Amino acid sequence: MDLEQLRKTAAEVVVREDVKYLIGWKQGSYGYRVAPVFVEDASGAAELLFSPLCTANLATYLTLVEKTPLPRGQEADKRKVALLVKGCDSRAVTQLIVEHGINRDQVIVVGCPCPGVVDTEKLAEKYPEQGKPAEVEWNGENFVLLCDDKETELPRDQFLAEKCRLCRHPNPVISDITVGEPVEPWTLADDNGVEEIEGKNLEERQAYWEEQFSKCIRCYSCRNVCPLCYCQDCILDRLNPTWVNRAVNFSENTAFNIARAFHLAGRCIECGECERVCPANIPLGKLNRKMAREVRDKYGFEPGVDPEAEPFQASFKPDDPEDFIL
Amino acid sequence: MSENYEPNIVAFLCNWCSYAGADLAGTSRVHYPANIQVIRVMCSGRVNPLYVMNALQQGADGVLISGCHPGDCHYMEGNFYARRRMGMLKDLMEFVGVDPKRFHMSWVSASEGHKWKEVVEKTVEEAREAGPFEGFRRRQIDW
Amino acid sequence: MTDKPKVGVYVCHCGINISATVDVETVADYALKLPNVEVARTYSYMCSDPGQVLIKNDIKEHGLNRIIVASCSPRMHEPTFRKAIQEAGLNPYYLEMANIREQCSWVHEDMEEATAKSKKLVASAVAKVRLLEALESKEVDAEPAALIIGAGIAGIQAALDIADAGFKVFLVEKTPSVGGRMAQLDKTFPTLDCSACILTPKMVDCASHPNIELLSYSEVEEIGGYIGNFDVKVRKKARYVDFDKCTGCGDCAAECRVKDRFPSEFDQGMGKRSAIYLPFPQAVPAKYTIDPESCLYLTRGKCGKGPKCQEVCKAEAINFEQEDEIVEFKVGAVIVATGFDPFDASRKPEYGYNDYPNVITGMEMERLVSASGPTGGKVKVFNGEEEIEPKEVAFIKCVGSRDASVGNEYCSRVCCMYVAKQAHLIRDKIPDANIRVYYIDVRAFGKGFEEFYDRVRRENVRYIRGNPSEIFKRGNKLVVKVEDTLTATPLEDEVDLVVLGVGLEPRADMREIMDLLRLSQSPDRFFLEAHPKLRPVDTATEGVFLAGCCQGPKDIPDTVAQAKGAASSAMIPLARGKVMISAQVAEVDEATCRGCGFCVNICPYTAIELVKINRFGHEVEVARVNEALCKGCGSCSAGCLSDSIQPKSFRDRQILPQIAALGVLK
Repeated sequence: MDLEQLRKTAAEVVVREDVKYLIGWKQGSYGYRVAPVFVEDASGAAELLFSPLCTANLATYLTLVEKTPLPRGQEADKRKVALLVKGCDSRAVTQLIVEHGINRDQVIVVGCPCPGVVDTEKLAEKYPEQGKPAEVEWNGENFVLLCDDKETELPRDQFLAEKCRLCRHPNPVISDITVGEPVEPWTLADDNGVEEIEGKNLEERQAYWEEQFSKCIRCYSCRNVCPLCYCQDCILDRLNPTWVNRAVNFSENTAFNIARAFHLAGRCIECGECERVCPANIPLGKLNRKMAREVRDKYGFEPGVDPEAEPFQASFKPDDPEDFIL
Repeated sequence: MSENYEPNIVAFLCNWCSYAGADLAGTSRVHYPANIQVIRVMCSGRVNPLYVMNALQQGADGVLISGCHPGDCHYMEGNFYARRRMGMLKDLMEFVGVDPKRFHMSWVSASEGHKWKEVVEKTVEEAREAGPFEGFRRRQIDW
Repeated sequence: MTDKPKVGVYVCHCGINISATVDVETVADYALKLPNVEVARTYSYMCSDPGQVLIKNDIKEHGLNRIIVASCSPRMHEPTFRKAIQEAGLNPYYLEMANIREQCSWVHEDMEEATAKSKKLVASAVAKVRLLEALESKEVDAEPAALIIGAGIAGIQAALDIADAGFKVFLVEKTPSVGGRMAQLDKTFPTLDCSACILTPKMVDCASHPNIELLSYSEVEEIGGYIGNFDVKVRKKARYVDFDKCTGCGDCAAECRVKDRFPSEFDQGMGKRSAIYLPFPQAVPAKYTIDPESCLYLTRGKCGKGPKCQEVCKAEAINFEQEDEIVEFKVGAVIVATGFDPFDASRKPEYGYNDYPNVITGMEMERLVSASGPTGGKVKVFNGEEEIEPKEVAFIKCVGSRDASVGNEYCSRVCCMYVAKQAHLIRDKIPDANIRVYYIDVRAFGKGFEEFYDRVRRENVRYIRGNPSEIFKRGNKLVVKVEDTLTATPLEDEVDLVVLGVGLEPRADMREIMDLLRLSQSPDRFFLEAHPKLRPVDTATEGVFLAGCCQGPKDIPDTVAQAKGAASSAMIPLARGKVMISAQVAEVDEATCRGCGFCVNICPYTAIELVKINRFGHEVEVARVNEALCKGCGSCSAGCLSDSIQPKSFRDRQILPQIAALGVLK
């Protein structure tokens, strides 16, 4: 992508009077880190970045503002928010519109067609992070690591993030301004990690998830990073009623993760952020992808692609599957 | 599995069809296993799918949800929502290794006392086959 | 919660209905050990006056503020106990029932198991009752009008009663005339009153009554709202005859180009009518109707040089441009009186109803013996070769009743007597006829029935116990093949006429009404009443009542009695002018609602809307419930990801402890 064009476009957007700020990515402090940035004026736009390291789904920030109480007497800033989105991020924006999480006219979507992001863990494994920031570019076929004035080609097959291998929407599904040329959707990977688990028998699955969920430290990173976990007050935090005890153990961890996966059924747009941020490396993406696939296959519904859609969990079809009913 | 294992089933019944059907089984003196305990709700659509998870966590070996037949819901559509929610939940639970035999849903109308008996028998029998639930059961249950 | 919960648990013996299977003392002892339980007692009949006094005294003496009655189904006595604790000064919603009868003592045999289960059910009730909240019922105005669907004798009687009491009645009838099945009958058993003579005055009354708006040839399209405030939409089908201009002279029918070409519905197809017709001479309203399916002009767009009816009608009432009209109005109560369908005899092919013209049904017999019928009351049949006066007549009872092979296990209750009556009428008209009745049982249970049955037998009508297996033709006779089961003699009985005593079935179109009003069916497929004994005219939908054969087969006196019952029940909200709306409605926690609108989408009553509020300085959308529209189903709640909308008395925080209580005990 032409970064100059991105920065120029962003600068034009943020100077508009009806725009509060633009949320984008900037170079992080070290290694492969990329940080979110809230650009409020034209000069700030110079920091903006879009590269295969920009994994974070910035749509999460759209719903955060309302959660913080305003000081007494202070008026809410009702100006629009501009947001840089990849394909998957744009689905989060769309789903938020469906759920009244945001108003369509309150957000300016700056779409960035995305050839896929790198799996930074794999990258760091092979090319350990250094103190100073590094960059990754897309050369049309493969990723390229720019570090110490050296260019190292990173084969796409090897370094593409797992969620991107299964990405159906590399181009933003909605956008007010598009920066860069649309990318050609690619053939999806055969293995989405779900069949592997479906191939196990019940005991094996139970054992697998017991191992996984036992690792959970209930840091709630998965929830906090999720663009669609934006409840004012998450039921899994509540004490009255207590759906899930605070204790960190297999039972409560499982309940927490089942509840979260269920709440995301028909809503998850598969940005993979939960899995990326999980410090315990729980394959949360498998849970969400499993549900997303069932919703697609059995109910013919894909969330976050149509802003006019009826929310999956708040609708039904008279001929929904009922083969499981006695 | 212990020899004298008796599955503990929690059932959520809609007031208008299934609860009335279970009452009819009573007035007709139809006998069925005592393993099932009913929680009455106004509509199967009231049943939060997480109740199922919660019941398993809190001591149930099997869960049953029963409502009006599609099209007969006293509240018109509640059972359709219940069906979609429970269909999804069942997929999720199976995926994380919960035996589908622990989870059932049925349509029992106010006149189907005998069907209620059959549903209970099937639910109990399957939960028995699945054995005591040990998955993510809470160690200590308070209420 | 302000007060510390003090729970009283009352375990009912219900005579021995519960105590024979459940050790009630053990259950009470156990309950006493549960948290917050102050008092636990057993009593023989909790619902009796002394039982209720027991609770009331304890509330006063022990300061109880939550009550559990472990007895029968809450569907049975919840209102009773709510009222009782209210009388003792408690909020009526501080009550929870443990159903240890219908769902425990009556369905389990092992005392140990049933007692253990009862304990769990009581524990679960304790878990919930502690967390229940006080609710206040609200009252809204009730529209002082009633809708009655169906204008047979049930609908007519209910309409007259309600109208006489001074309330407006909308009487909707699908066919062009009121009267229903009773209008088709000749005489009525056992008194042999002429059906038309006793019915037609009532038909006329209901058309002329100032409080009754008769909507004939009309169908209910939509019913929304709730008790006291139903919104009704009725389609008045086009008659193609100006209702106000038509004088009922009949010139049109006489001149119709397809005069007397179509089977008359009223005469069971035995008589004929024109495309423009009056269903029967005494029809009310006496207005002609053009059948759009048989009228030449309406089907082909052409009728000679111009429709004859239009030409001869001096009142200029014919209007082919007429369209269906939608009428909308509001009522406080609804009575369903849609009646029955006679059993379709062709579903018993062994009786040859479709094959032999001299095998007829009871309904056809009614028209045949009627002085106003197609034969002017002469009993004449075509035996395939010639028209004869039948000398050998056989009746077969229980055709389509008590017959699992056609899916009708029930007794139709009227066939025994109408067959006896018809046998009598034939004896009257053909004194030398040989009449026999093939029966399985004779059920002459009503007032004057047994006497009438005796009389008919004395009139030389032979009753032969046997269920015929087949009817076939031999020469110009019909042969009834049957075994006389009292003498174990196989018979081949040669007769001229077979009358099938067909039973009563639920109407084929009852589904439409079920969908309109959310009614259920009982196992016999007739409409289900709220309680088979104590609420026989009520339905599960408040403000909707049943009258007549739509609820189950019955004779005319029973139908009229039920219609009067339904009318008086329906008049309760009308007379009060107010109805209580349920206090158990959904409530939104605006502090946590995220305004996603899932509940708005889910609510089938459009009772929820999103409104803008200021939350900590931010303008946000939250859900708000219209309590008059909310029915408390709770579907919204199960779809709410943040638990922000909760049905009162069925909140998550009330149900989760119930689940826990059931799980704790093994």
